[in-house]
Amino acid sequence: MTFLTLAQIAFLLGAALSLALRNNVHRAWAGVVSQLIGTTLTLVCALPVLLGDGELRATVPWSYPVESVTAHLDALGAFFLVWSLPMTLMGTLYAVGYLRPQFASRNAGVQFALLNITSFSFVLIYTLENAMVFLLGWEIAAVAAWLLVIWEYRSQKTRFAGFNYLVSTHVGFFVLVAAFMTMRSATGSMDFGSFSNFLRIPSPMRNVTFILLATSFGLKAAFFPFHTWLPRAHAAAPAHVSALMSGVIHKAGLFGLLRFTLLIGAPDAWMGWYLLAFSSLTALVGVLYTTAQRDLKRLLGYSSTENVGIAGIGFGLGYLGLSWHKPVLVALGFTGGILHILNHAVFKCLLFYAAGSIYRATHTVDLERLGGLIRKLPWTAFFFLLGGLAISGLPPLNGFVSEFLIYAGLLHAGAPSGIERALLIGTASLLALVGGASALATVRAFGVSFLGAPRDTTVHAAHDASLSMRLTMCAHAVGVVLLGVVPAVALRIVRAPAALFMGPASAPPGSAILEAAGLLEPVAWTSALLLAVFLVLLVGRWWLVRGRYTKHVTWGCGYTGTTSRMQTTGTSFSAQFASSFESVLHFQRRERLPVGFFPESPGHLDTYNVDTVERRIFEALGEGQDFSTKVVARISEEPRFAFGLGLVVLVALVVSVFVRGDVP
Amino acid sequence: MTLLAVVLHVVALLASPIGMVGVINRTKAIWAGRKGPPLLQFLFDLTRLLRKAPVYSHVTTPIFWIAPLVALTTALVSGLAVPLLGYAAPISFPFDFVAVAYLWGLGRVFVILAALDAGSSFEGLGASREATFGALVEPALFLCMGTLAAATGHDTFASIVHVGLGSSDRIATTAGCAIALFVVLQVESSRVPVDDPQTHLELTMIHEVMILDHSGPDLAALQYASAMKLTLLAALVAAVINPVPFQTSPAIATVTHLATMLVLALAVGCVESLVARLKLKALPQYIVVATVATFIALLATAWRLGSGG
Repeated sequence: MTFLTLAQIAFLLGAALSLALRNNVHRAWAGVVSQLIGTTLTLVCALPVLLGDGELRATVPWSYPVESVTAHLDALGAFFLVWSLPMTLMGTLYAVGYLRPQFASRNAGVQFALLNITSFSFVLIYTLENAMVFLLGWEIAAVAAWLLVIWEYRSQKTRFAGFNYLVSTHVGFFVLVAAFMTMRSATGSMDFGSFSNFLRIPSPMRNVTFILLATSFGLKAAFFPFHTWLPRAHAAAPAHVSALMSGVIHKAGLFGLLRFTLLIGAPDAWMGWYLLAFSSLTALVGVLYTTAQRDLKRLLGYSSTENVGIAGIGFGLGYLGLSWHKPVLVALGFTGGILHILNHAVFKCLLFYAAGSIYRATHTVDLERLGGLIRKLPWTAFFFLLGGLAISGLPPLNGFVSEFLIYAGLLHAGAPSGIERALLIGTASLLALVGGASALATVRAFGVSFLGAPRDTTVHAAHDASLSMRLTMCAHAVGVVLLGVVPAVALRIVRAPAALFMGPASAPPGSAILEAAGLLEPVAWTSALLLAVFLVLLVGRWWLVRGRYTKHVTWGCGYTGTTSRMQTTGTSFSAQFASSFESVLHFQRRERLPVGFFPESPGHLDTYNVDTVERRIFEALGEGQDFSTKVVARISEEPRFAFGLGLVVLVALVVSVFVRGDVP
Repeated sequence: MTLLAVVLHVVALLASPIGMVGVINRTKAIWAGRKGPPLLQFLFDLTRLLRKAPVYSHVTTPIFWIAPLVALTTALVSGLAVPLLGYAAPISFPFDFVAVAYLWGLGRVFVILAALDAGSSFEGLGASREATFGALVEPALFLCMGTLAAATGHDTFASIVHVGLGSSDRIATTAGCAIALFVVLQVESSRVPVDDPQTHLELTMIHEVMILDHSGPDLAALQYASAMKLTLLAALVAAVINPVPFQTSPAIATVTHLATMLVLALAVGCVESLVARLKLKALPQYIVVATVATFIALLATAWRLGSGG
């Protein structure tokens, strides 16, 4: 605990120094060094806890109304600290290279100070077990993220995105406050421990609290339909901020969900189905938007929504396992879900950093204007491809490991046979669609921006990423490969936090975890075999070709007037897939088509994918009253009475279900 | 699995694609009133390609020649996990079918990237279609494997396919999964009515147009990988509809399994000769047929298991 306090002091001192020093380079160093010290101190504290050396607990007396603050570092908090802080440090390191071109004109100290504050708030959120202080940490993280996003505040678009984020995150904050107030009034205490006494016993109020908590944490983690702020914010923020927000900061939402899952202990089955349904929808909608974006960073933002959905499917499965008393499902669901959080953080940061170095080199992230970047940015291209393959869940990289565990849970024979099993298998096939679409999005993003020939002659790729950016990407790439090829490492990290959830469901806790871990051993061997066969084929090809090859132009099927503008664009690549999902993927076209056989003026066509969900929400808010009046007016006089009666019955049913408190 | 069985499996894995393609092409030739190429023509084509020196476009990068190797690697490794001879596979672990599906996904991703690498509008079109139909067919494949796992109570590829025709209440499961897998076969290995393996012309631009710029050993690897995937899927369909249960008489069952694969090759050839390729717009609906078929199978299975039958 002393180390944690020292770490907090280091973070705050570093933040103060970054603001106080007069030179941007010094500010950057102050940020990096203080982060390094703070992170090391925290790791000294958290690593033993994560590896199973007992928990840390300390209570500090406080004035009314908090009374006392319990700092409690268990395996779950330790797990989140162990990767959040080092990755924030990496982000700070990347920021040094990324912000360097602006060092002459801007005060970058604010960014470094805010990054320190972000680390500071992580320690608060992941260790403190008091509602009041938890909310404080929550708010610090939210406001710091907002200030980080609006770095380019002179652009109106950025300010709007920032404001949008600020409002959304506070809506979630109010819902969280409501949940805490409910629990506080039921228990008369602000302590999480006493919340648990209330949450463990099934009651109607527990159901309401669960929904409030799930909504608030879902908003933080950008679950559908609360995801609309996310792509905007990610597109507007500097690359390191997008990376940290998507990969690290918003994982706090999932942490909240997991923390309260522990407090609930034995959830009802409907909570599991609720989570599963929401998460599946989130994964599906997220990935559909991913396939259609033309802004690379927006694309990555939507893919965050997809990935929290995938992790959420794991948690939903774990909930179901808890309520059915099936330790294997609990183990597979929570191990897979928690591991996916870590995996997503690693590959998503890698992808955002690569996108950032594209932006630094070309000053655009519009897919339709890029092309052939692999020649100018070979490092960035390699890292992006690695991250892209991982995010599509392809073997032998890390995304596959966690998705495999979740698939194994969904298809496991542990579920009650009958309709429950069928629903879980249906979810697995939905996850397969998500995987396929995510692969499409990856090849589209990588293929269009890095392969082929440059599409727009006005875009010049100047230089590859600077050393600090390359080092950061390299560290993440190592993580992507290591966690994928040697899943034992990944499992060691998530074993202790996942074991916390096993509590009531298993006789000897941990045996189910080991069973889940055993599933991955052959997967690792298959990955090794894959690499071996590939190497053999590589040698075989080298022997066959032996450097004999000719260079020629791309075969144009007899047509010789091809230009690079004729290549497939990002929009055309996903057009056919999008046409199968028209109701979600709505394209806005701005066009002036050429007229006649010899058009006098050149035409143009622009397509944008707009977020239908966001649109519908605004429409419903703006026109809700008109809409309901219209609907009612359409019902003729006599059935209107019946309709009203039906509504009353429906409301009564819902209320009675809540009061009875055992929703099936 | 004994060493002999592993050796047999590997030999079958390497040899049967050639036989499958030979039988399909011979069937099509007979329907067209031609004599047709020799059954081993595919082998001759491959060896001819292996001797040639490749030609690369100025636009291409190393991804262009790495992709065929990845495709072949994934086909080979996944081939070791699929019960090609009907009853067992050298690599068999719980939920290996998930790994196999994702291995195919990895191969597909690299072939698509190689197509985009050439910077040609034709190949881009093929790449886009392959990615689309590849994504749309995944749910059918997983739903099918999940159904088989639920119906048999097993969790490895080699054991879930033996759902059996034995009792009448299993027939819905078997038929639904077989139909779905046959459609998956047509999509994944680019056969009519989804794609035409004979041409790369605009109407059928999917797999053949993606590999338009590949030549020499690279082309050989791609074609071999594609044929291998066809064989593996045919083996799955054959194992599902094999009338002889493996538990009672493994030898006879293996023979009927191989015969069923032969029949499937004939069926693919007949479909290709008699049916026109579908319009591209109609393809998602055709894939939905597979999803619906296996969904019915899933419901039938859930009903049977849920009622304790």
